[in-house]
Amino acid sequence: MTAQTPIVQAKPYIPGRARSEVVRKVLLYAIMLAVAAVFFVPFLYTIVTAFKSIPDSVNVGLPHPWTTSAWHLVWTQYDFPTYIKNSLFLAAVVVSCNLFLSALGGYAFARLRFPGRELLFLLVLGTLMVPDQLRLIPIFVMIVHWGLFGSFWSYILINLASAVNLFFMRQYFLTIPRDFEEAAKLDGAGYFKTFWRVMLPLALPATAALAILQFQGVWNDFFWPLILFGQGNPDHYTIQLGLAELRFTYTTLWPEIAAGSIIAIIPVLIVFLAFQRFFVSGVVSAGVKG
Amino acid sequence: MATTTATEAAPNRLRASMLGARVREAGWGYAFAFVPTAVFGLFFIYPLGYAVYISFFHWGILGKTAPGTGTFNYAKVIHDPVFHTALKNIGEYTVAVVPLEMTLGLGLALLINQKIRGRNFFRSAFYFPSIASSVAIAVIVLYVFSQGGLFNHAFGFGTDWYGNAGTVGWGIVGMNTWTTSGTVMLFYLAALQAIPDDVYEAAALDDTGAWRTFWKITFPLLRPAHFFCLVVFGIGALKLFDQPFIVAAGASGAPNYSTMYPIIYIYNAAFGVSDFGIAAAAGVLYFILIFALTVVERFTVGRQQAA
Amino acid sequence: MTKRLAMVLGLAGLAVVLVAASAQAGRKTHKVTNVTFAGWSSGPDEDALDQQMANAFNRTHKGIHVEWQVINGNYPQAMTARFAAHNAPDVFYVDSSVIGSWIKQGVIAPLNGLIKKTHFNTKAFYPKLLGAFKKGNKIYGFPKDWSPLATEINNSLFARAGLHKAPKTWAQLRSDAKTLQQHGVAHPICLSADWARMGAFMYQNGGSITSHLSSKANAKAVGFYVGLIKSGLAYTPPSGSWCGQELGQSHAAIIFEGNWLLPYMPSTYPGTHFSVAPMVHNKKQGNLAFTVSWSIAKSNPHKAAAWKVLSWLVGKQGEKIWMSKGLALSPRKDVASKGGRKPFLAAAPFARGWGFGNPNFANAYTVMGNDLNAVISGSKSIPAMLSDVGKALKGK
Repeated sequence: MTAQTPIVQAKPYIPGRARSEVVRKVLLYAIMLAVAAVFFVPFLYTIVTAFKSIPDSVNVGLPHPWTTSAWHLVWTQYDFPTYIKNSLFLAAVVVSCNLFLSALGGYAFARLRFPGRELLFLLVLGTLMVPDQLRLIPIFVMIVHWGLFGSFWSYILINLASAVNLFFMRQYFLTIPRDFEEAAKLDGAGYFKTFWRVMLPLALPATAALAILQFQGVWNDFFWPLILFGQGNPDHYTIQLGLAELRFTYTTLWPEIAAGSIIAIIPVLIVFLAFQRFFVSGVVSAGVKG
Repeated sequence: MATTTATEAAPNRLRASMLGARVREAGWGYAFAFVPTAVFGLFFIYPLGYAVYISFFHWGILGKTAPGTGTFNYAKVIHDPVFHTALKNIGEYTVAVVPLEMTLGLGLALLINQKIRGRNFFRSAFYFPSIASSVAIAVIVLYVFSQGGLFNHAFGFGTDWYGNAGTVGWGIVGMNTWTTSGTVMLFYLAALQAIPDDVYEAAALDDTGAWRTFWKITFPLLRPAHFFCLVVFGIGALKLFDQPFIVAAGASGAPNYSTMYPIIYIYNAAFGVSDFGIAAAAGVLYFILIFALTVVERFTVGRQQAA
Repeated sequence: MTKRLAMVLGLAGLAVVLVAASAQAGRKTHKVTNVTFAGWSSGPDEDALDQQMANAFNRTHKGIHVEWQVINGNYPQAMTARFAAHNAPDVFYVDSSVIGSWIKQGVIAPLNGLIKKTHFNTKAFYPKLLGAFKKGNKIYGFPKDWSPLATEINNSLFARAGLHKAPKTWAQLRSDAKTLQQHGVAHPICLSADWARMGAFMYQNGGSITSHLSSKANAKAVGFYVGLIKSGLAYTPPSGSWCGQELGQSHAAIIFEGNWLLPYMPSTYPGTHFSVAPMVHNKKQGNLAFTVSWSIAKSNPHKAAAWKVLSWLVGKQGEKIWMSKGLALSPRKDVASKGGRKPFLAAAPFARGWGFGNPNFANAYTVMGNDLNAVISGSKSIPAMLSDVGKALKGK
């Protein structure tokens, strides 16, 4: 972004240019602030609504009176604490298993030579072509046959590894100089030790970016939890299923929905704010390879 | 390993130990790759075949219900006007939402790419809707756009945007444009920053206007990004499920099948009508359609892009 | 930077695992037979009442421990998934509109054997209601409660227009609506785009949903219903609302809802005064009975225990508790409904069980909803809708 500086310097001084530059800047900020406002207003409005009563929720404007009854209902009647725990549990297990196995596989495909490696790798890439809509019915039937329907294990199992993450890790391992492994070998480290003690720590930035995205993915996932364990299984509801449940009740509970939405957004928001840089680089690089 | 074997005297033993190392490496390779590959085989490759298998049977809640195999499920789906509506809806949705997402995303990226203070803040602000879950976004938008809601109040409309067959499709387009443009922006931003500075310097020396610079230089240089976004977000659009499911509070497609999309159709066939055979057949047909589209795209847009 | 990141990530991971572990811990163990009974809940009141039923049962029974499980949103889809997985609750709600499809799929257990063995008295139930859950001689569930539709009016809007009584006939309905409109109520009637409301009008006009769907009587009834909306005398509730809410907000002066409105109004709109009158009629009386059973899955491994719970729930004792809050009407002749339900009870002799035992009803109902919307918006003709629905009811 140092680019624009020489542009201005290269130009001869033209009177009035500075002023038009100021106008341009002001206009730019105005546009950006306006867009940001449009993007944020729905969320701010949601926060306000969460403090309304149900009859008051059809009125536009500030709550009258302010009440925390929606929060209370969401926390007791609708058992959001359980939903949060379930979502956190799934996120923890899926993120750790998936990243470990994807990294392990990625390392094998990047560095270890074994017959059929290219063929297997093609298979991994091929899975990127398989759309979820086709997997819905067979996977549901398979999970039912195995007696895993309605349990978290079904979800964990189908998310044990993902081709996107494996591919990403492989590409990252390819960029690490071989010297590190050679040094580890000289120290007498075995293959797993080399991977665990040397390569994985070196790939930490990539792992972190993927972990954050994977966390967001599991936390926000609605489709597979609904199919595999969410239908009619309230003690297994994740936060998203719990939120959807509020939408499905006969009377629309807007204040409760607002409170539930805020609860559903806050954890990803915290992760996002804390690891913004990884988020941005992760989205871009994970997307570019996929 | 070569360093250790160098000290060995006998060439035979050298070869044997090299072979041993090779075998050992391959063994570890298989061990490392086994679980991920097995997961992919079991949950991606095998279900493809299984879906085709199910699609040839009468398959109810408890499995096969009636004897007989055949293509009757395919015939039923192909002749079902509701499936046609689902395809029409997803076609219209994709054709509308992808260009909108890309235009808004590129616009945001161009704004962010200016040399101004607070770029990181604005980037986060624009990206923020992308981190929220589809369910949360859908319910928030439903509320803001409800008949007596904030939007109608502020702009003097009285339309029930998400309850009206004529507007709900556009409502879903708008909702997803809003939340996906932030992600599109990140891709364009990366592409913009990859354009070498001297390109702009040349344009500045020629005193080309900003508008012309964009259309003559920036836009064509972003061609790989355009192609990439078209493919990624196009395929993403075809998977639409969560938003119409939340908007219609179920998979009925109400009102008047305006929220009926292919995956909603598949879900409803399985869990609403209890006919898994129909659901599987619809899934296979839809996959074939998407696959054909991808191939066509590769040979038209993709070829242009390579040229 | 990397170190700090590793530490933060590690700590975050640890915290998550701890929370998750605590979520998994603390599961109760029982030596007695556990029976879950499940259903949806129309609101906090019903949820609390079901919980009260569980507590009452557990207090009086030693060998069986029951637990109430609420399943909200897309109940039929959720249950379909659970049937497929042989994972259904032990005893559960079945809406009369889906029982036909579930019996055909072979997932609901017939109860005749258990009834015989325990000498359970089926005569205490209103035959029409019990009939909704029968196929031939086999009984697949016992009604837990029921409700028909009634005419409900907003008292202050009526008083403002100088009206005092709810309309009784279609003609009065139309003229009252016109009067209300002249007195500032933009669209006086709230009508859902739902055959579960319009169906009553079809029967009032001498039509039927089970036979000759394309009859003149049906077409005229649909024409009247849709015509009220098109003329502006009526409107359909916007998404996210229902006619009860419209009445509470005083947007609508006349609605047609069931007994479920009665607990809803005072708890959500205590300031709105309303009256309940018997459902309007035209050529004859016509109404729909919405009823829900307690049933048992065919794959249930401990049917005897499940039956013990079921027969208690719909027995005299259980129904007495169930009726205490007035959430619905009693299905038993020997248990009275809560007071003030006369306008509803008046429909008992002629109300038709919604669903009509049709095995294709669940799918047909989807067609009904979508097509009626199309008719209201003018993109489909009434005969075309009646023919579509007729085909769907026949499973074509």
